[in-house]
Amino acid sequence: MTSAAFRIHLREHLKQQNHRTLLRIMIAGEIIELTGAVILQRSVELARRYQDAPEAGVVLLLLPHSVELFLLHLGLILEGRIPAILAWPTSRVDPQKYQRNLLHQLRTLPASQVITLPRLAQNMEPVLSYKVTACLIESAVPFEKAFAVPAEIEASAGMEKHPPAQIAPEGSVFLQFSGGTTGAQKAVVVTAAMLMAQLGRLRECLAFTEEDAVVSWLPMYHDMGLVGCLWFPLLAGAPSLQLSATDWLLNPESLFAHMEKFRGTFCWLPNFAFSYLAAQKERMKRTYSLGHVRAWISCSEPVRQTSMDSFANAFAEWGVNRESLQASYAMAENVFAVTQTTLGEAPRVFARSALRLQPTAPVSPPAFDLLDAAYISSGKPLADVELRITTGEKQLAAAQPGEILIRTESLFSGYWGHGGFIKNALSPDGWYSTGDYGFLADGDLYVIGRLKDIVIVGGQNVFPEDVEAVVNGLDGIYPGRVAAFGVQDGELGTEALTVIAELRGEYRREHAQLVQRDIQTLILSTIGIAPRYVFAVPERWIVKSTAGKISRRETQVRFLQEKDNLVRGILHTEYNYA
Amino acid sequence: MRDRDTIRLAAHEVVCNMVGAEVSDDEPLISSGRIDSLSILKLIGGLEKKLKVSIPPANLQPDDFESIEWIVDTIERAAISQ
Repeated sequence: MTSAAFRIHLREHLKQQNHRTLLRIMIAGEIIELTGAVILQRSVELARRYQDAPEAGVVLLLLPHSVELFLLHLGLILEGRIPAILAWPTSRVDPQKYQRNLLHQLRTLPASQVITLPRLAQNMEPVLSYKVTACLIESAVPFEKAFAVPAEIEASAGMEKHPPAQIAPEGSVFLQFSGGTTGAQKAVVVTAAMLMAQLGRLRECLAFTEEDAVVSWLPMYHDMGLVGCLWFPLLAGAPSLQLSATDWLLNPESLFAHMEKFRGTFCWLPNFAFSYLAAQKERMKRTYSLGHVRAWISCSEPVRQTSMDSFANAFAEWGVNRESLQASYAMAENVFAVTQTTLGEAPRVFARSALRLQPTAPVSPPAFDLLDAAYISSGKPLADVELRITTGEKQLAAAQPGEILIRTESLFSGYWGHGGFIKNALSPDGWYSTGDYGFLADGDLYVIGRLKDIVIVGGQNVFPEDVEAVVNGLDGIYPGRVAAFGVQDGELGTEALTVIAELRGEYRREHAQLVQRDIQTLILSTIGIAPRYVFAVPERWIVKSTAGKISRRETQVRFLQEKDNLVRGILHTEYNYA
Repeated sequence: MRDRDTIRLAAHEVVCNMVGAEVSDDEPLISSGRIDSLSILKLIGGLEKKLKVSIPPANLQPDDFESIEWIVDTIERAAISQ
């Protein structure tokens, strides 16, 4: 399908759903309902008002959860532009640090235009080479106050590196960014053919119809939110209700209230959300009837037995049964889902002790100390998906863990940037090396963790190199002596971002504490994730490999051994720190 | 309703337990990353338990817990609305 044919299809689909509510968006406690006709009319109207990019030009959307964000995304597509949604901070951030990093990010992205809130637009416009357009969103006025002060950015710095206006490849519908809320964003071009192939397979697999309904708090810059919870129901003619992530985090019970009220049948959640909801049950004000829900799908973080069990146990009395707890392995590189468990059956479980580890395995098992005694299946591949588990060139047998490789009809063509597609993770015959570690057993895929050093915090990928690069620029830090990694958070079923940085010169505890606070603020403002553990340590604390390179894994091991002492401010004596 | 000083004292205790250090009344907690967004409910739970009050989630924002000073205001507001 071409992008022009897709636009016609979308337009016709919205017309056909003239009076049917397809989209509900919760803004400041009020639900805005949009029928097919209203979506079509208002989205095109908004796109025409704000877009200032050539045909097939990439338009970045840097906006908070709002009606405008959803409608501009759809309207730009209908108008032949290629939208790309950027992450918006979920809480207050340091405006200076945030804007400096944002500018760096915007300068490296291939785009013709960015649409953002007025004050940010005003601050960014003088220092960006492409068009910057202000979009007033009334519900976002409080957000804007923070950006009253322009970033202290030298207009000339890096101007020569400004990218030229970018036209997306033929067939593009939108871009989504794979992992990382900031830093070196990896753009995945989603074409009409990829999107339709993916959604068709998923619909078939889930037996999803217009009688279903999705309730979501997932952000639109994430494939699970954008594809799973917006495009999937929209094109199936089923309604979705979109809550903001911030509202949900502070009021998790609202998810159940809306699942009940709007008869939500599908809900995609990252693993941590299962634990988070279960932990909050005691504080919930009332009971809910959830027996109608067809699937609670764990996706975007490795599925943990403890999280699934705690959710099932906590909410069984409200009608949640084990068979409705489902799992999926998904990634932006494949538009969305790669595998899915079978609806109506509880996901299979595989005992950890039954793994057939290879003596030459690329990663030793302790690196994935997952607390659980068993792995939960992420299901079987969707109809067009081929899966392989490999180590080096060798394909592994069942129950042998290795790197997960996929080949599908909806696979990307490489990360897209100024130089075209970067295909280094793709083999000549179309296999994508995912960097994920897992195994197959009886046709089911079990995902254990990441081979690449990516930290997954609450379903969001964080690249350690981005974190390290940000911290390396801080005064008082020994440049190049920073290690970022994740440690398992057993309570929440996710990873906790951890940063260790070596202090330059003599170590003093008071100074270390000040630097730690600086690091914490800086990372939240630039990466968008608050690190759980930050420690400024004396020189030579971080473990290096024999080649003299910082070893994140070895440093992680040392951190776990010494964590309690570090928290209490005690540094290991054998290193003779001052 | 409890007075502001009692609330402040309790807020200091709960926050100090969470971040592992003393904080001043106006020190940023959320925007500094010292309390992450996944931990705000833990903070609310701690405050409710300590002060034996209920802080209803409706219309709450992370900003309401940005500093000890803001926390005191938030709890006072919650108490009045009840």
